Amino acid sequence: MSDGEAMTLARELVNKMPDIEVVPSIDRLDIKAAPEKIRDVIRFLDEYINDLFPESCFGVDLRNNQYEMIYIFWSRNKRLLVQVRVLLEGEPPEIDTVSDIIAGLEWHERETHEMFGIKFKGHPDLRPLLLPDELVGRYPMRKSFMTDRSRLAESGLPQPKPRPPKEANE
Amino acid sequence: MSPDILDEAIEIWFGPQHVSAHGWAAKLTLIGDYIVECDPHAGYFHRSAEKVLEFRNFRQGPLVMERLCMLESFLMEYPYVSAVEQIAGLEVPERARIMRTILMEASRIHSLQFWWGQFAAELGLFTMLLWPWVDREYFLDAFEELTGSRHAVSFNTPGGVKYDFTDKFLKKLDRALLRIEERLPKFKDMLLHGPTFRLRTKNVGLFSAEQGLRWGLSGPNIKACGVPMDLRKDKPDSNLAYDLADWEVPTVHNEEHPGQSDAYDRMVQRFLEVETSINIIRQLLPQIPEGPIIDPKARAKANRLPEGEAYGRVEGTRGITSLWLKTTEKAQTAYRAKIRGPCFASYYALKHLVPGSRFADFIVIFGSLDPYPGLWDR
Repeated sequence: MSDGEAMTLARELVNKMPDIEVVPSIDRLDIKAAPEKIRDVIRFLDEYINDLFPESCFGVDLRNNQYEMIYIFWSRNKRLLVQVRVLLEGEPPEIDTVSDIIAGLEWHERETHEMFGIKFKGHPDLRPLLLPDELVGRYPMRKSFMTDRSRLAESGLPQPKPRPPKEANE
Repeated sequence: MSPDILDEAIEIWFGPQHVSAHGWAAKLTLIGDYIVECDPHAGYFHRSAEKVLEFRNFRQGPLVMERLCMLESFLMEYPYVSAVEQIAGLEVPERARIMRTILMEASRIHSLQFWWGQFAAELGLFTMLLWPWVDREYFLDAFEELTGSRHAVSFNTPGGVKYDFTDKFLKKLDRALLRIEERLPKFKDMLLHGPTFRLRTKNVGLFSAEQGLRWGLSGPNIKACGVPMDLRKDKPDSNLAYDLADWEVPTVHNEEHPGQSDAYDRMVQRFLEVETSINIIRQLLPQIPEGPIIDPKARAKANRLPEGEAYGRVEGTRGITSLWLKTTEKAQTAYRAKIRGPCFASYYALKHLVPGSRFADFIVIFGSLDPYPGLWDR
């Protein structure tokens, strides 16, 4: 199968960009890159794999102002799943857009922007995609977003009392 | 384009109140009869399923998933179940493996039947709306017999399946298959050989395989361009039984425009999909062995998962459906679950695909991609 493919691709990538962490296995390739390298990595994959299929791209909130961007690609010819992960730090987290290299990721980035507040530099259209107007800028997929009480203030109902600290319960 | 022409451009909203726009709306800019810009708007159907999954345990998760697209509930549950099985290291009994595959294919057929009816109605052929929907009832009856529910079936669960096949169910499934086998030639006659349908769909919404891959289109939309991209064959899943049947990935070849597909090709492709699914079910039915339907330790194992990441994928009716799952140590719920609905890409593709076509063709292009709002809004 594609054992060789993942290995060859990994070797080529490391030769070109030595500071990138690459873990090849039988049918997948895991790449860890720095945020400023993301465009180079995606461009490399696009050149090397002729049927690069943009499967998904999303954010993960790792707490403490750390976020992870994950890009998933699939190549049918090589039977290879490529997962690129990028660690973002700081507030607001920022990364370059790749939607001009691969058009299919445009909306994925747009969704990640409204859900996590990750800024995509150079993205043509960062209007909110799925959220209603009152949640724009609240970044509901972040772990700090309070799901149950988030809309109490606008409802006019009395705010619930804060929970007693944990030690008091025990 | 001279500025005078742009002065005449008008903007109109297609949806959300339009009868064909059930849960979506697109802003179209028209010059005369031609669309120059299309801006699809999403979010009318958003139920924040990804956030909800962070508060549901691993046996409740599939129930959230199947509600994203009720038409292919057996298929929608699977990516989540598969991801949980990968993290928990669960083995699926042989009997459950085959039962899953059979029902996923049955689900595919009834989802496509729904689509024929809807697509034909969007084109104005209202007779065709109800004919496949009557046949679809036979499948829904069978699902009801098995799970007690027509749509929200809740059948797959980590480690196996919840309900065992009964003789009555098998009889009903057989009746549904016989019905579709008998009526398929009739539908083909009505649609593919009908002059109205040909006129409306030939050379409408043309795109090439390269363009489709760029936009992220998968499933029948890309197979209609002649690329046999199908996860069932490309990446056989050990918890599904596609390897036990002898079948080929169907594709369509457009003779006028090689490597491209139009709305007509995508229709033909979906007929081929149904034939393939019937073929797979017919081969798998006699192969069901006796045995347990679920790993007895699965329930306990799925209660708390170790730290891990998994990526569950399945070839859905509309393309690659997947779920990326991250769990923390001793997790009772997902830390992050990302759902990929195939229609997210096909809805986005309208932006590139529609400009340049006539206004009357807009709904034909939209319908031919088989989009379902629940899958892009999630």
